[in-house]
Amino acid sequence: MIKVKNLKKYFPITGGFFNNKLGNVKAVENVTFEIPEGEILGLVGESGSGKTTLGRSIIRLIEPSEGEIFYNNKNIINFSDAEMRKLRKDFQIIFQDPYASLDPRKKVFNIIAQGLKIHTNMNKQEIYDKVNSTLKDVGLQEEHLNRYPHEFSGGQRQRIGIARALVLDPKFIIADEPVSALDVTIQAQILNLILELKEKYSLTILFISHDLSVINQIADRVMVMYLGHLVEVASTKNLFSKPRHPYTKSLIETAPQIFRENKNKVLLKGDIPSPINPPSGCVFRTRCPNPTHDCQEGNIKMGLIEVSPNHWVDQCCVNCS
Amino acid sequence: MSEETLLSIQNLKTHFTVGNSVVKAVDGVSFDLKAGKTFAIVGESGSGKSITALSIMSLLPNNLTSTDRGKILFNNQDLISLEEKEMRKIRGNSISMIFQEPMTSLNPVYDLSFQISEVIMLHQNKNKKDARKIAIEMLDLVGIPEPQKRIDSFPHELSGGMRQRAMIAMALSCNPKILIADEPTTALDVTIQAQIIELMQELQKKLRMSIIFITHDLGVVSEISDHVMVMYLGNVMEIAGTKELFSNPLHSYTKSLIDIAPQITEEKRKIRVLKGEIPSPINPPSGCVFRTRCPNPTHDCEHGKSHMGLIEPIPGHFVDQCCYECNKND
Repeated sequence: MIKVKNLKKYFPITGGFFNNKLGNVKAVENVTFEIPEGEILGLVGESGSGKTTLGRSIIRLIEPSEGEIFYNNKNIINFSDAEMRKLRKDFQIIFQDPYASLDPRKKVFNIIAQGLKIHTNMNKQEIYDKVNSTLKDVGLQEEHLNRYPHEFSGGQRQRIGIARALVLDPKFIIADEPVSALDVTIQAQILNLILELKEKYSLTILFISHDLSVINQIADRVMVMYLGHLVEVASTKNLFSKPRHPYTKSLIETAPQIFRENKNKVLLKGDIPSPINPPSGCVFRTRCPNPTHDCQEGNIKMGLIEVSPNHWVDQCCVNCS
Repeated sequence: MSEETLLSIQNLKTHFTVGNSVVKAVDGVSFDLKAGKTFAIVGESGSGKSITALSIMSLLPNNLTSTDRGKILFNNQDLISLEEKEMRKIRGNSISMIFQEPMTSLNPVYDLSFQISEVIMLHQNKNKKDARKIAIEMLDLVGIPEPQKRIDSFPHELSGGMRQRAMIAMALSCNPKILIADEPTTALDVTIQAQIIELMQELQKKLRMSIIFITHDLGVVSEISDHVMVMYLGNVMEIAGTKELFSNPLHSYTKSLIDIAPQITEEKRKIRVLKGEIPSPINPPSGCVFRTRCPNPTHDCEHGKSHMGLIEPIPGHFVDQCCYECNKND
């Protein structure tokens, strides 16, 4: 349904007396992938890896620097604003922070109804009925419509955020860390709700998270991102049972788990480098546990290769390990 | 290993007056911290974990209700009855604390040298030069590269993981007997979290201190702690050795938490759910506070008639009596 080809996003850094361009923040580098209809595609990575920028670039909330985006085989990169606006109702976002993403001065009804007022010709009664039925789908009641966001708990607010995203019957949803601000018991409730609604509304979802165990529960396929690059793409099952990239391996090993005693886990040293001045060649080489001579020198080009059917790994690290 | 008790908390009650009502943030918590061990406190937000820690540090706001607050025994002293002047000698010296947000808990307008030396000069009677020397040693100890250079950095020049290391350096600079860590890794990425956890374990061995580790993440608990206390709405639900708790949880809440915790190693499955949300501490359920979310409440506790209180069905494994009774009938 969605195809992304060689997508790049550079943010310019300007400064100095004449506001000269001093450099680029390379947030997303040459990313290519597809999301088939009905899939939940997970996107994991540390903070600063470019997950959110990638998510927003796909639906042109952030204008990509380069690349192509196909939605139902139409290249939307050259769509005009007016054409884009028509598409907007097919794309929705669920945000991370349910406290910050709802307007505190609007009642729940107005928050959810806003999209309908803009994108449809429904009359008042139709809008009310639609809002009401969406609210019931996310597990809230009609009496909640007249309340303000501050009257709700974190989990309920996230439900409101989901209702807002669903009310226009979208085709594609970007869920940007929708459960990371929530307690575990609430997190489980929201994940279940997303799975239920995905069936009911036949959604395609890009699920962004830093938490591999959440991704394991919800996603069909996973992309691992590091410093703007995709370093591994595979089905959830393959990624967790046979991770190939040392970064993925390390993420899986270092995630604290209840019933696992891992004494021999490989800790990654150091921090994620700055995207302003990323390492040359393979961007992971500064933290790689077993770099070869070539990649230490930064002579290796990055790029995904298919190591087994539908399991893609960055070529540099395939050769190293 | 000696099983010497370093800190003993007995029936700690921390209640606040808010408007006309009383918030029972911590309502009768008792536990012992053993020397050289790590004691984890887990629970959802609003369960009273942090307030328990702040009570030990005596860092509470002044709208406390002055009823019987219980006892916090450390070195034969009751910290609750100590004067602020006396408490100040202990705080940051033999008991110190690190916080969740390394971004907000360091002072942005002072460099690390000033912030770390301040503690050392205050508690150890060192002059500025010596304090700075110790501060550099501390930064080295917590694995900050080039400590001589980094000591003059301001917090905004450091990454999240480095800031947390600096916080730990500050907390450990007076060789505390007890380190209270309030969600120290929650704001960090997994790879950095793993580094910090390893660092804390290393330092604990080196400096022989006890750690009270507060977290909501059971995975982290299983990696770091020797004993665990599960809290819910200001009350203790269960206390046990870490292995014992995970292999043989007795309380329904603990069972749910373990059930729900997302697993990497497991195949995808239907996500199990604990219904509802944690009730408000202003108006907690009568009787057993967990009854509104309990998966198998008995008639008695549904009507709020049961009493709460820990019992010890297995040596060293404490559980709230209400849920123990409920589960026994199954």
